[in-house]
Amino acid sequence: MGRSRRTFHLSTRDPSSARRDMRDELSFHVEERTAQLVARGLTPAAARAEAIHRLGASWESTEDRLGDSAEQKERRLNVRERLAELVDDIRYAIRGLAARPGFTAIAVLTLGIGIGANTAIYSAVDALLLRSLPYPEPGRLLDIVQSSSDEGPAPWSYVKYAFFRDAQRSYAALAAHADGQVILTGQEPERLGIEEVTGEYLKALGVRVARGRDFPPELDAAGGARRVALISDALWQRAFNADPAVVGTSLSLNNEPWEVIGVLPPGFRGLSGRADALLNLTARPADGLNEPWSLEFSLIGRLRDGVTVEQAVSEAGLIGPRIFEAFPMAAGTLTTSKEPSRWTAVARPLDTIRVASGLRRSLLVLFGAVGMVLLITCVNLANLLVARAVARKKEIAVRLALGAGRGRLVRLLVTESLVLALLGGAASLAIAWAGTRALGAINPQETLRVQGLQGGIGAVGFDAIQLDGRALLFTFGITVAVGLLFGLAPALGATRASLVGDLKDGGGAGGSGRRLGASRRVLVVAEVALAMVLLAGSGLMIRSLGRLLDVNPGFDGEGVLTLRLSMPPGVLAPDSMPGFYDRLQEEIAGVPGVQQVAIADCAPLSNGCNGTIMTFADRPESATGNAMVGVHWVSPNWFSTMRVPLTRGRAFAGTDRLGGPKVVIINEAAARQYFPGEDPIGKRVGVYQGGFHTGAEVIGIVGDVRYGTIDSTARPDVYISYGQARLSRMMVFARTTGDPSSLAPAVRAAVRRIAPGAPVFDIRSMSARVGAATAQARFSAVLLGLFAAVALSLAVMGTYGVLSFAVAQRTREIGIRMALGAERASVLGLVVRDGAILAGTGLAIGLVAALALTRVLRAMLFEVTTTDPVTYAAIVVLLAAAVLVATWVPARRAARVDPATALRKG
Amino acid sequence: MGDSPPLLKGTLDLLVLKALSWEPMHGFEIVSWLEQRSHGCVGVDDGALYYALHRMEERDLIESEWRLTPNNRKARYYRIRAAGRAHLRTEGASLERYARTLADILALRPG
Repeated sequence: MGRSRRTFHLSTRDPSSARRDMRDELSFHVEERTAQLVARGLTPAAARAEAIHRLGASWESTEDRLGDSAEQKERRLNVRERLAELVDDIRYAIRGLAARPGFTAIAVLTLGIGIGANTAIYSAVDALLLRSLPYPEPGRLLDIVQSSSDEGPAPWSYVKYAFFRDAQRSYAALAAHADGQVILTGQEPERLGIEEVTGEYLKALGVRVARGRDFPPELDAAGGARRVALISDALWQRAFNADPAVVGTSLSLNNEPWEVIGVLPPGFRGLSGRADALLNLTARPADGLNEPWSLEFSLIGRLRDGVTVEQAVSEAGLIGPRIFEAFPMAAGTLTTSKEPSRWTAVARPLDTIRVASGLRRSLLVLFGAVGMVLLITCVNLANLLVARAVARKKEIAVRLALGAGRGRLVRLLVTESLVLALLGGAASLAIAWAGTRALGAINPQETLRVQGLQGGIGAVGFDAIQLDGRALLFTFGITVAVGLLFGLAPALGATRASLVGDLKDGGGAGGSGRRLGASRRVLVVAEVALAMVLLAGSGLMIRSLGRLLDVNPGFDGEGVLTLRLSMPPGVLAPDSMPGFYDRLQEEIAGVPGVQQVAIADCAPLSNGCNGTIMTFADRPESATGNAMVGVHWVSPNWFSTMRVPLTRGRAFAGTDRLGGPKVVIINEAAARQYFPGEDPIGKRVGVYQGGFHTGAEVIGIVGDVRYGTIDSTARPDVYISYGQARLSRMMVFARTTGDPSSLAPAVRAAVRRIAPGAPVFDIRSMSARVGAATAQARFSAVLLGLFAAVALSLAVMGTYGVLSFAVAQRTREIGIRMALGAERASVLGLVVRDGAILAGTGLAIGLVAALALTRVLRAMLFEVTTTDPVTYAAIVVLLAAAVLVATWVPARRAARVDPATALRKG
Repeated sequence: MGDSPPLLKGTLDLLVLKALSWEPMHGFEIVSWLEQRSHGCVGVDDGALYYALHRMEERDLIESEWRLTPNNRKARYYRIRAAGRAHLRTEGASLERYARTLADILALRPG
């Protein structure tokens, strides 16, 4: 089709010249017709008039209309011709790629990995950082926190929220909310995630109930209000079989009846992302709600029309100090510093706190790293294509000589790289799919909290990571960009080739060959430098991970099974609790395979244990300020079960019971910090929890256990015995022989026998908890390590390719050198030196770049500086060694050149 | 030729292709060729001819190029392409059948 039109070539191509041609054609026609008519006897003027008349109404209108027609025809033909060319180019490209299956396979594979990894990480970045929040006009949603000069952001108490609510003029809807858990009591007790909210919560988020009605406004007035609940669609389906008559029925939560007034829309689980019910917050007793320093609520507000974010932010800054004036801090209340703290309120767009900053940072670092991997992949492919262009330079020269335009040739070559990129992009989908599945399976809440990455909106979760339309669009975009990136430079380089030189040249060391060789060297230097950056980043992360894994958490979790138990309030009389704990432990200890059983209220490394202040009987409060301590309830044998060493004094005994003298055990950190140079044993302290504020005796000191994140050192802790306190919250620790997880069903059954109404959950080995504490570090280290390994192998491939090529090109030269008496060793040195120069340059550039770029890792590293000399030395040695190995093979080949053969062949 | 009968729809393309099946011609040559062969009975509108040429060039039935006439004048010559010949064959045959049938019917006499 288009091709034959090209052979029978028409000089005019652009539509405006088609119009000009049409006019010429018409003039010619009119002249011919006029001549014919004159020959038949008409006067020249009449003949001309008749000739024009036969074409149309007037010369102008004919010229105009036929001009349009010609122009349109030309335009359509051009489009068709372009398409035909494209099809030709693609066919040519596919034929070329099929002819070199090895090259094509490597290219598609490396591209697939590079693009796939990018898509996977992009999906995570998109879901967690970019995609707009799933509420209408999310930009109008603000999160408001209190902020103190020494403690930073803090939640609200109900009365302070009420003060803020009544003082503000910025919000169309404002609500307090807190997430928590309750037990759905019934035949099969179940733990439910809930949110306690005030009436305008749904209005603020812009969510409507699917059936029933929203909280009535009158409930917001005071505490002790009617207990009403909105249930999630999931709970409605599960617990009520989607009964349309659910509204008005009752739900038993923590053994209290809650009236169901509505059902939430499908998929909506509150800001926490885990709520199965929204409960009326004001159902709490009034006295608790009126406690100004009971800080536990978050605030969400939707801006009133016409109010800007800036106005709301400055308003919060004005109202905040007034709240503090209205509710001054009582003397002796919790504070860590002696300075009186100043409080204010801070409003910030909800979008800015969607994920914890640490998580944001890791994601962006990984995104940067995969981007770099893709860049190396591109450089490597550009390198291979340059090599190919060198091999094809004669073909290209012939095409140029035959009159093919340079633009046309560049298009041909770029089409080839685009086809390659698209194949790689298609292959990448498998990797992207697997990657997004793996990322989406990360259990966010627990895993993130134990690593200090909590915060953010639960509704923005890893489970939103998926290979969706946006991710596919990203893949396509990046694929095309990559195809242009690695295809354009070699194409431009190849078509610049000098005509005469290449036509004469038999394919050996020609002028353009040398120039292309030089550009390949630049590419190899870039590859080595990029690999250096990635290796440095992953090296630092791996070293940091090593340090983390070396941390002694203060206990031995190997072989320990842990589970949580939640007692519905009111099931146990407080005084019967110690006896219950004993029975529970005995029952579990009877399970075959269980060696030791203990209970505690909170697991090590869970980063969510409670704390309070401690006072000292022998010191005035002003002298110490208030000592903050973590408070942990344990059964007497918990220390021996967890192998926490007792360093001084005695452990709890079965005789430390309710009503007996109160005793506590402190950890070494508390001893160091609060009893410097003193013996704490026998000292009396007050602990503001569990009724221990009246005073208790320190009877022992135990080793430090890390309760926070694994990378934060232990804080001062106080232990209280379950024998002397009343706490329904508990966690079972069972030391087992063999694999602890295999005993989970038996242990669960034992718990059920003692406490049939208590849901058992969160059954995991302690090793799994320790693993979760380092999960993110491992995740980052493993991924970065993987990326670095890819980078390293690509850099080695690149170096090898360039040097082999150089040796092949210089065979004749080497032959002459050897014929003239050069030693094999010196030939070997010649090539190795060549490689060393490439590697050295790349390493030097990479080192500078790595030192600059790895600074972003600072906050992610544990006990490793971003300039850690050991890491850098190891990386430089590794990379240099790898590149030298890559030079050794071509060097050996060069040294084996037989001068006679080389010269004859040349 | 204002008094010649109007051309049946679709027949102009075929007539032009027929003309070009002899040899490449420029626009005026095509018109003159048709006028001569039809003895003035086929009235080709000069303007319509060029629309037909554009249409057929777009459909790859013909192609064009600038050449010199025997009198050394520059003129745009049209040449029939393989697709054009095929078109002429099939469409020409069906038009012929149509014309014959039409003539037969018109030749019928009552009785």
